Amino acid sequence: MNSMKGNNKEKGIFREILNRRECYLLILPTFLLLLTFNYYPAFSAIYHSFFEWDGANFIRFIGFGNFINLFKDPTIPLSFLNTLRLTIASLLINLTFPLLAASLIFHLKNLRYAYFYRVLFVIPMVVPAMVIFMIWRFIYSPTTGLLNQLLRTIGLGHLARPWLGDFDLALYAVIFVGFPWVAGTSTLIYLAGFQNIPIELLDAVAIDGASTWTRFWRIELPLIMGQIKLIVILTLIGSIQGFVNIMVMTNGGPGEATMVPGLYLYRNAMYYNKMGYACAIGTFLFLIIITLTYLNLRYLKSGVEYQA
Amino acid sequence: MNKELKHDFPIHIFLIILGILTFYPFVFTIITSFKDNFQFIHNFWGITWPLHLSNYTDAWSRISRYILNSAIVTTSSAFGVLAIASISAFVFARFNFPGREFLFLCILSLLMIPGILTLVPAFLLVKRLGLLNTYWVLILPYISGGQVFAIFILRSFIASLPEELFEAARVDGATTFQSFFSIAVPLSKPILVTVAIMNVLSTWNDYVWPLVTIPDGRMWTITVGIVSFSSQYGGLEMWGPMFAGYVIASIPLIVLFFFTMRYFIAGLTSGALKV
Repeated sequence: MNSMKGNNKEKGIFREILNRRECYLLILPTFLLLLTFNYYPAFSAIYHSFFEWDGANFIRFIGFGNFINLFKDPTIPLSFLNTLRLTIASLLINLTFPLLAASLIFHLKNLRYAYFYRVLFVIPMVVPAMVIFMIWRFIYSPTTGLLNQLLRTIGLGHLARPWLGDFDLALYAVIFVGFPWVAGTSTLIYLAGFQNIPIELLDAVAIDGASTWTRFWRIELPLIMGQIKLIVILTLIGSIQGFVNIMVMTNGGPGEATMVPGLYLYRNAMYYNKMGYACAIGTFLFLIIITLTYLNLRYLKSGVEYQA
Repeated sequence: MNKELKHDFPIHIFLIILGILTFYPFVFTIITSFKDNFQFIHNFWGITWPLHLSNYTDAWSRISRYILNSAIVTTSSAFGVLAIASISAFVFARFNFPGREFLFLCILSLLMIPGILTLVPAFLLVKRLGLLNTYWVLILPYISGGQVFAIFILRSFIASLPEELFEAARVDGATTFQSFFSIAVPLSKPILVTVAIMNVLSTWNDYVWPLVTIPDGRMWTITVGIVSFSSQYGGLEMWGPMFAGYVIASIPLIVLFFFTMRYFIAGLTSGALKV
């Protein structure tokens, strides 16, 4: 009886699938591409992190060997420490300057100016990031660079130095790129958060005579928590895996002073042909990102939804 | 009016300072792009005459190829993403079929996979497929990766369209394709433009993937080209043409931005962007 019922049900599902074959056919291109260029490489990376592999013919299973080597490799702690510094700096930056800019724009009474500033701060976003890196590379360059020229002009020439070639300062120079950091996605995301705050609520607070400061901390901040969480996640993911800024500004140097895991992965794969080891670094970064994203979603206080 | 200005005045001061700090490097870039070396060394800060427009022709002759390559790759990828993602988003939004939720979750989970994880195997894959040094090596993975976010955004938009429209079409005997092309697509136009622009922005800026998959200098995209060009000109101390190159490299997206500003800001400020 039961089995017959199950059988019928199974037939039902098959018939349903057959009836809906058009749906599957239409989403087939999506999945063919994803299987080839996304799922396969992701699984391949995790799988090959357990192998010694030159990317071609030589392949040997070594279990957790790559991961054990990760902990013995002196470049690893150094590069992770740099990433930690970059991540903390990046979080501090993205949680302050763009928030300040968005809040200032939002509190303008003249809406035409508010729109003007919003557009103004979007324009630098469409300048290719690489052009911005190149301009900053010039700003820091030792002899003709803008920063050193500025210091000489204002009589502080003794402070001039090759910023990106300085062991102690190179990382901070990279962090400082893009100052004052207000032209970007973060500002726009915060602004969207502010704009979703119901106007009656702000009016009510204004009538109660709350100070700007109180209003910001007690009313606005809790209501844009959703945006803040998003920015924290995007910043974490971006700074843990990102290395293009380091690659084109310092290429990890001087020495290994600004080395980061992403760049180290790239080098192991492209220069040293240690594909298995590179995959292990990638897997390790993946685990860190997944964990942090999970913790963030789980424990950072969620957005307060205002209900009228 | 006066009261409004009084309230806004200190805010303007702050925002103008932030604006000047943000834009000064770009202004400096534009000013320097018109200088020859003598002007650059003897008048570092100011605007100098005559303007050397030849810097631009010089830079253009070096980077026009990269810009063309980037334009081809970026446009093809954006159209590819729109085509594939909008159909899938439509199916996920408007049809019920066994495994729908599971398959959609499979797509969403890819948002959690960082590019750094897939870099090495993806490179070895395209190498084995013989795609290195072709446009396809960029276009296909860009479509594949780009459609994930696009499907996510488009599905929720198409799902919010009123069911009566589709019901009416079905009663009139419209096929799936007809209701897709005559109802879903026209109504989703603004969001499609937004998705396309966000896609263009990310592919135009990508650096590492073209760097590893395009060893041949003639096929380079603008990001890879500009780095090499920068080192060449920097090494030769040809500052004017170097900065002219930066300006030229920025123009295509800025032009695109001015024509599509509304969609652009709408995409980035849409309420959907929060967790």
